[in-house]
Amino acid sequence: VIVVAVVAYPFFYNVVLSFSNANIYHLRDWKIIGLAQYVAVLSDPIFWNILWKTIIWTVVNVVFHVGLGVFLAVVLNQHFVVGKPAWRTLFILPWAIPQYITALTWRGMFNYEYGAINLLITQYLNLPAVEWLRSPFEAFVAVILTNIWLGFPFMMVIALGGLQSIPGELYEAADVDGASEWRKFWTITAPLLKPVMIPAITLGVVWTFNNINIVWLVSNTGEPNDQTHILVSYVYKAAFNMYRFGWAAALSMVIFGILFVFTQIFLRRTRATEAVY
Amino acid sequence: MLLTVVVVGVLLGCGGPESDRTRIRIWHQKLTVERLILEDAVAAYNADQDSVFVETLYKENEELRNLFVTAAVGGQGPELVYGPADNVALYAATETIRPLDDLFGPEFFDQFEEDGRVELGDSTWIIGDQIGNHLALVYNRELIPSPPETFSEFIKMGEKLTADTDGDGQIDRYALTWNYTEPYFFIPFLTGFGGWVYDDEGQPSLDTDATVKAIQFILDLRDKYKIIPREGDYDIANLLFMDGRAAAIINGPWSWSGYEEAGLDFGLARIPKMDETGLWSSPMVAVKGYAVNVNLPDRKIPAVRDVIEMLTSAKMQVKMASRLATTPVNKAALRDSTVLQNELLQESTRQIEVGRRMPLEPSLRQIWDGARGPYQLVMNGSVTAEEAARMMQEKIEKLIADTFL
Repeated sequence: VIVVAVVAYPFFYNVVLSFSNANIYHLRDWKIIGLAQYVAVLSDPIFWNILWKTIIWTVVNVVFHVGLGVFLAVVLNQHFVVGKPAWRTLFILPWAIPQYITALTWRGMFNYEYGAINLLITQYLNLPAVEWLRSPFEAFVAVILTNIWLGFPFMMVIALGGLQSIPGELYEAADVDGASEWRKFWTITAPLLKPVMIPAITLGVVWTFNNINIVWLVSNTGEPNDQTHILVSYVYKAAFNMYRFGWAAALSMVIFGILFVFTQIFLRRTRATEAVY
Repeated sequence: MLLTVVVVGVLLGCGGPESDRTRIRIWHQKLTVERLILEDAVAAYNADQDSVFVETLYKENEELRNLFVTAAVGGQGPELVYGPADNVALYAATETIRPLDDLFGPEFFDQFEEDGRVELGDSTWIIGDQIGNHLALVYNRELIPSPPETFSEFIKMGEKLTADTDGDGQIDRYALTWNYTEPYFFIPFLTGFGGWVYDDEGQPSLDTDATVKAIQFILDLRDKYKIIPREGDYDIANLLFMDGRAAAIINGPWSWSGYEEAGLDFGLARIPKMDETGLWSSPMVAVKGYAVNVNLPDRKIPAVRDVIEMLTSAKMQVKMASRLATTPVNKAALRDSTVLQNELLQESTRQIEVGRRMPLEPSLRQIWDGARGPYQLVMNGSVTAEEAARMMQEKIEKLIADTFL
């Protein structure tokens, strides 16, 4: 009953809404108008522009999340590292702090005249100040930087767990065969991390694709000129700022379709659900 | 089992001395001291009688509007909602509020100035506890002993006020600041050049000479005269003024009590006249007040009536005026000696006298959203003033057309 109430009902209600003309003028008397909202979504150049940005946003973020996360996990897993619990705690901090606090703190740090980032750039690197939040490209970079900061600890924790489950004998055998560290990483560590990391990456893609908080808060609702939106932030704006409920519901279904197809293909091609040992 | 125990416990815990009383919920967007005044008044009201229990809940303006509409369409929501008059257009379009004429007779409305009632069609939808919500020039008296009347005077003064006080090559104090990201703050500049957001036929009209001149004027303040910061959202602008790093700020009544709390020695003045046109830079002026949820059951009408009477009473408005410098709309409050002698309030009223009433059109929403982006682009140098004006108009028209799909 709970699942029906909190998952199935809203989902099917959204499906119905996506075929309707529900908007500010038809909130109570909306009616089904067929595929018009889907046609409107897919024929709007803004949709394709934002979809492209969303893909860049997702790929760049997940690559850095996984790259940084696995790198730090491997380093922390080495015998020579002292104070591992302290390092682990330090690296997990960005993840432990509530997202909106991190987002608003970064927004302050990106301020042109008074932000810490530009103070560092101008005073210590002798480079010109960057208009982080006022120019579309720089604002998008700022949003991505913030989300990279927030996202790598999750991948690090997952990778650390995976690393600790790899039997030490495999590395000892590789040492006997004279394998280099690089070769050991690619022939032992990477394949054995895969079953742990693939579901995490899949989750990471879905979460990042749908991560409205950071975009909304750092760019202050998609500024400048709605140039830093990803699809979900644009859905939110269409629904709750512009009251275009039918259009927003149709766009939500398109997002659902994109993520559903991606997840199916990714999991099948990576054979993530198959056993390794 | 445990869950059941917890749920039952929570439900039982909800029953208190107030559970037998008629519950009236108010969603509002009052900030800081204004919120405290409301909460104090409600607490005193609740303590004074035993038939009604009033609860208040703060929500940020945008969130308040969205959640109220969503809740009311679903047959829920608070009995009363408080906010600026421009919300009425949305509430009326979505049929989420109930005419106040259902609750009150003419003798109640006669207590208020005509400006204090928000009427649309044949009905009264909001009864105000203040009029204003208007921008004004707030200046630091230590830095600006006497506020300028025209922008040319201000620029002359501003070139001296803007200073690198510690000699590190960076400007430490600007003459003026405001929130550059919101077009609401652009309106005084637009009106100063004779422009407005609608034309005579009631159609949005931003692609005009006045818009171009107003944008160019702001760019000149920043790039030619260098008396305003390069970047400024609301929080940054407010911080600069509070820290003494801006001699003046363009801001509204919601901020004044905060400046008083911070111990700033500040004054209010009209935003200066534009020399080219001789026109005052007129901000939008709107009533703020209470509206009634369309779902209000008839059995609660007496309680709601009583609560509205209390919240819009002369006593309440005098209290607000003396602590917040808000302009009352209750005629008795306007005659009160504390109101008549309040210096800040007099200055605020002078600004209201040259303000323009906020239009009550649903498309005002699209105007704000359509103007915001190009306004930001021109401020970051991506487009010229002419391009920005054209983009504003195109975007507003597209947003309006999209909304009807």
